Amino acid sequence: MAESADHITCMEVVELVNDYLERTLPPDEVTVFEQHLNFCDGCDLYVEQLKRTVETVGEIREDDVPAEAKERLLSAFRDWKRS
Amino acid sequence: MTRAQAHPHVGSTASHEAELVARLRAGDEQAFETLVDEYYPMMLSVARGYVRSRAVAEEVVQEAWLGVLKGLDRFEGRSSLKTWIMRILANIAISRGTREARSQPFSSFAVHDDEPAVDTDRFRDSSDGFPGHWRAYPRDWGTLPDGALLGKETLGVAMQAIEELPDSQRVVITMRDVAGCEAAEVCEALDVSEGNQRVLLHRARSKVRAALERHFDG
Amino acid sequence: MIAYKFLRDDATGVFTGFAWPLPGDGPGAWVEARVEQCRSGIHACRTADLPLWAGRRLYEIELDGDIVEAPTKVVASRGRLVRRLDGWDGLRGEYTRMCADRAHDLALGASPPLAQWDAVVEPSIPEGPALLGFVAARIAEEISGLDAYHAERRRQADWLAERLDLHQNPPPGQGAPA
Repeated sequence: MAESADHITCMEVVELVNDYLERTLPPDEVTVFEQHLNFCDGCDLYVEQLKRTVETVGEIREDDVPAEAKERLLSAFRDWKRS
Repeated sequence: MTRAQAHPHVGSTASHEAELVARLRAGDEQAFETLVDEYYPMMLSVARGYVRSRAVAEEVVQEAWLGVLKGLDRFEGRSSLKTWIMRILANIAISRGTREARSQPFSSFAVHDDEPAVDTDRFRDSSDGFPGHWRAYPRDWGTLPDGALLGKETLGVAMQAIEELPDSQRVVITMRDVAGCEAAEVCEALDVSEGNQRVLLHRARSKVRAALERHFDG
Repeated sequence: MIAYKFLRDDATGVFTGFAWPLPGDGPGAWVEARVEQCRSGIHACRTADLPLWAGRRLYEIELDGDIVEAPTKVVASRGRLVRRLDGWDGLRGEYTRMCADRAHDLALGASPPLAQWDAVVEPSIPEGPALLGFVAARIAEEISGLDAYHAERRRQADWLAERLDLHQNPPPGQGAPA
C-alpha cells in the first residue's frame, strides 16, 4: 500500500480516506493511517473536508412527488387492484 | 427535516415491510401512497443518473412503479422492499438508457482508470524533500461562516458537481449520500461488487470535495 | 497493565472525540469497550509507541480486561486514567527541538547532504512533536534504510521515557523491560 509498511504519504492518504471513513480499511492499515493523521495537520484538514462534503451532499433534498405523477400512480394502483 | 423525520412510519425493518406488503396486496391505497411518498424522490434522482432528461426519468420511475405492482404477488421478502424496488428501477433505467439517443451509452459499473483524488502537483516530489507531503495544506472549513457549508449556494455547487460526474459515480453517490442507502443495498440494487461500489463512491466524493474547495477558495 | 495515552487539549480522544473521565484525587472512572482489532477498544501506548502518537496531553492509563498487544499500540476492553503526566506539557517543546536538531544533524551529515530535507525541518516545528519525530526518523530512513527509521524511533522513545521517568515497556518480541 505504501512507500513502506510503517508510514504512508499524504498522496496515499487522500486515496485511502474513503475506505477509512467507510471502515473497510484493514486494521493494520487503520493504524498507519491514524499515525499519519496524528502528525499531519494537512491530512487532518483534508479528512475533515471529506466529512463535511458528505454532510453537505446529505442535505440535498430531492424533489417531492409532482402531483400529476402521483395521480397517475394512484390511478395505476386502482387499475391493478381491480385486475 | 430529514427523510426519517418526514416519514416516521416508513422504515426498513423486516416486520414493518412485511406489514406494508400485506396492506398493499390487500389493496390499501394509503399504504401505496405512503410508499410512493417515501421512495419516489430517491427513484427520480437515481433514474436521472441513468437518463439525464427529467421527463424521461419520470417515465422510467412510472414504469418502475408499474413493475413493482406487477411483481408484488411474487415478492418474497428475501431482499428488503427498498432493494427490490431499486433493482426494478435500475433494470428499467439501464434498458431505457440504452435505447435513448445518447452521445455515449451508460457507462457500466466497471471501474476504469481515473484521475487521482487530488492533483498530484499539490504534493511535494522527490526533488523537494519530504516527497508525497502536501505543498500547501488544505483550508480549514471549520473557519467558514456558520451555515456556509449547508447553505443554498453551497448545496447548489454540490448538486452541480454531482450532475457533472460520470454516470456510474453519479448513481452511486446519489444512492449512498443523497438517498442514504447502505452500501450493501446499493451493491444489491445495482448488481455491483462491494469493491467497485467503494471505488466509485471514493471518486465521486473526491470530485465533489474538489468542487466545494474551488468554490470556497474563490 | 500500565500504559500511556495522549488526549486532545480538551481531554477527548484524538480519533474518537470521546470525553475521558479525568483523574481527580484518584484515578478517573473505568471505561469499558469491546475489543475489535483496531476498530474499537481502549487504545494506549507502551513507552516504545509514544513518539508515534505524540499529542497534546499525556496521561498514565491503567488497562484491564481483554488486552491485545499490537505492533504499535495496545488495545484493551477496560481502562481508566490514573494521572496526568503534566511533565509532558513542559517537555513538548524540548522534545520537538531535540528531534529537529537530530533531523538537521542527520540531513547535513549525510554524503551528499540532504539539503532539501534539511529545509523542511524548521518550518515543521510549529506543527509539533509528532511531525518532527517523523521527519527525523524519515531522514534517518532516507540515509540508511528502514532499520535506521526504527532505531531513530527507539531513540525518541528512550528520550521520552527517561525525561518523563516512565516504566520501559518494549513492544512484544524485544525482550523484558529494564
